[in-house]
Amino acid sequence: MATEQRQQQQGWNPVSRVLNWMEQLSEEAYAYLLLAPAFLVLFTIALWPLWRTFRVSLFADNLFGAAKTGGFVGLQNYVDVLTNQNPLLSRPLIDFTGGTPFFRQALLVTLAFAIISVVFETLIGFGQAYIMSKEYRGRRWVRVAIILPWAIPIVIQGMLFFLLFNPSVGFLSDPLQAIGLFGSNPLTSSTNAFVIVTVADIWKTSAFMALLILAGMQSIDKSLYDVAEVAGASPWQRFRHITLPLIFPALMVAMLFRTIDAMRIYGIIEASGAGCGTVPSLSCLVVDTMFGVTQAYASAATIAFITATIIALVIGGYLVVLKLSPEGSYQ
Amino acid sequence: MSQPTGTERSDDETRGPLSNWVDSAIKNPKKVYRAMFFVVVIFFLITTLFPLYWLTMIALSDSSRVSEGVGLLPTGFDPSSFVEIFQQIPLHLYLFNSFVFATLTTIFVLIVASLAGYAFGRLEFRGKRTLLLTVLIISFFPPAAFFIPLFQLFTQQIAFLGLTPPELYSTPGGVVVPLSAIFMPLAIFILTTFYSQIPDGLEDAARIEGTTRLGALFRVIIPLSAPGVATAGILTFIAVYNEFFFSFLMTGTAAQDWAPIVDGIISYQSQFQVRYDLMAAASIVAVVPVAILVVVAQEKIVSGLTSGALKE
Repeated sequence: MATEQRQQQQGWNPVSRVLNWMEQLSEEAYAYLLLAPAFLVLFTIALWPLWRTFRVSLFADNLFGAAKTGGFVGLQNYVDVLTNQNPLLSRPLIDFTGGTPFFRQALLVTLAFAIISVVFETLIGFGQAYIMSKEYRGRRWVRVAIILPWAIPIVIQGMLFFLLFNPSVGFLSDPLQAIGLFGSNPLTSSTNAFVIVTVADIWKTSAFMALLILAGMQSIDKSLYDVAEVAGASPWQRFRHITLPLIFPALMVAMLFRTIDAMRIYGIIEASGAGCGTVPSLSCLVVDTMFGVTQAYASAATIAFITATIIALVIGGYLVVLKLSPEGSYQ
Repeated sequence: MSQPTGTERSDDETRGPLSNWVDSAIKNPKKVYRAMFFVVVIFFLITTLFPLYWLTMIALSDSSRVSEGVGLLPTGFDPSSFVEIFQQIPLHLYLFNSFVFATLTTIFVLIVASLAGYAFGRLEFRGKRTLLLTVLIISFFPPAAFFIPLFQLFTQQIAFLGLTPPELYSTPGGVVVPLSAIFMPLAIFILTTFYSQIPDGLEDAARIEGTTRLGALFRVIIPLSAPGVATAGILTFIAVYNEFFFSFLMTGTAAQDWAPIVDGIISYQSQFQVRYDLMAAASIVAVVPVAILVVVAQEKIVSGLTSGALKE
């Protein structure tokens, strides 16, 4: 019947003609058709600029002339950055000789931040998602309250934590100093500023994890819980054997993208007043080198690609673990 | 579950309200879970809302006395900052600009990522893993890695494959186009995950009844994945609304040049004076549209599959 209808419409309605043509495609051809818009956008706006940036990274910096880059140097920029030989970098990426303190090495700062923030955000996100998923009066407002920090512009998030820990305006600096946790001006000490930046990020971004975990929880068929309860499963057993396996894919997407984002941290470091000199992250080095006093485009492009490679290694680790895990059927 | 109930209830006269509660809690452990649950709710409400409460106290403080320190109550009381923010700059226009960026990007990303998410989540084709990995790899790069080529393209300094697009700098396009690409990978992964979880039977049933292929996506898969779609939408909208890098650098600094909220907020700090109270007030005003959006969109993040839709 449906085919008859379609044949009648064919020939005069261009929309149904296109739809009809789509029906005839093989599954594979249809998949490519659906992917075309996304990859058109990603190719033009992402892959093409990346290719140009990569080419720049193969040339020497040209700091004084009109042209942005000098002669072709191959992979020399990469060697210089990795061996700490590039004098334009405000802080070393990594110093294998051990001559640089921990919080002055961009790679170590970034990894420490990513691990701590992702662990805490996942745990807090779970808790928040749990209380957002139950049904009770006022749940809507609890949801809004929990998502609200994620809606705060990064400039304000930065200002907020800058002021909270500012010795004259805020009230957190004095007590923390009194119990000996913080120095007299927390935002200028690398360790203290690192803690502040991490706390600020956890405060804001736990909501991201919570929302994705919540969406996963809400996609679970509730009758599974009824069955489990009848069978006498404890809350922990229900969580372990129903909730966790079923939200696993959503949880993995959340953790993957949260890790990627944490490893590109930049905005809150500047906005909180800590600054890239005190808490140097990988993205800090890219932005500092690209827009700072030097404007060394080739060096900046090099660090951007090294950053992406480091993230690729970390994410590669994730994907291997996923494959080995019992729930690893994802994709 | 059976509990040994009320064996030591002899000393009736010493029982206060607390031991009463403890007694009934022993009989009924659900009550304890419930109490613990609301303790956790209150804990999370305090941790998320307290910094915002303090922000409000800064906004309400007397501007000249903020530097003396602001505690749990405003220092001095001067709510006029909520009026002054609109007198100094056209704040509503900055809000409007960011709102336009966020709305356009969210709609575009949700449509394009839905098509891709359907293909990745529900269809079999060659090169699926490679293409999915390509999407992921794009999000490994710091936004700065995309910036200079796109800036040159949007200011018509260079051509793309021999084509020069119209000048997108200081237009919504200059922000929406790059941000669509940057937030697309997350949306594609979220939607792929949720679309792949819908049982095939539901889609097949719709197809047998004569729904077109595209119709099945928009009438069956997307409505059944409402929690995932709403989440992808909220995350994209808020991320673009508050985006710092592209929306700041691809536009001018005045509201009529499509400057975003960030520009408006920053303009309250001059070289000589930083008006924390105005910045705080402006950010509270800026959060209102997002809060309204969350109130509306969170209605979609509920279990929609309770009425037997999954029982094939």
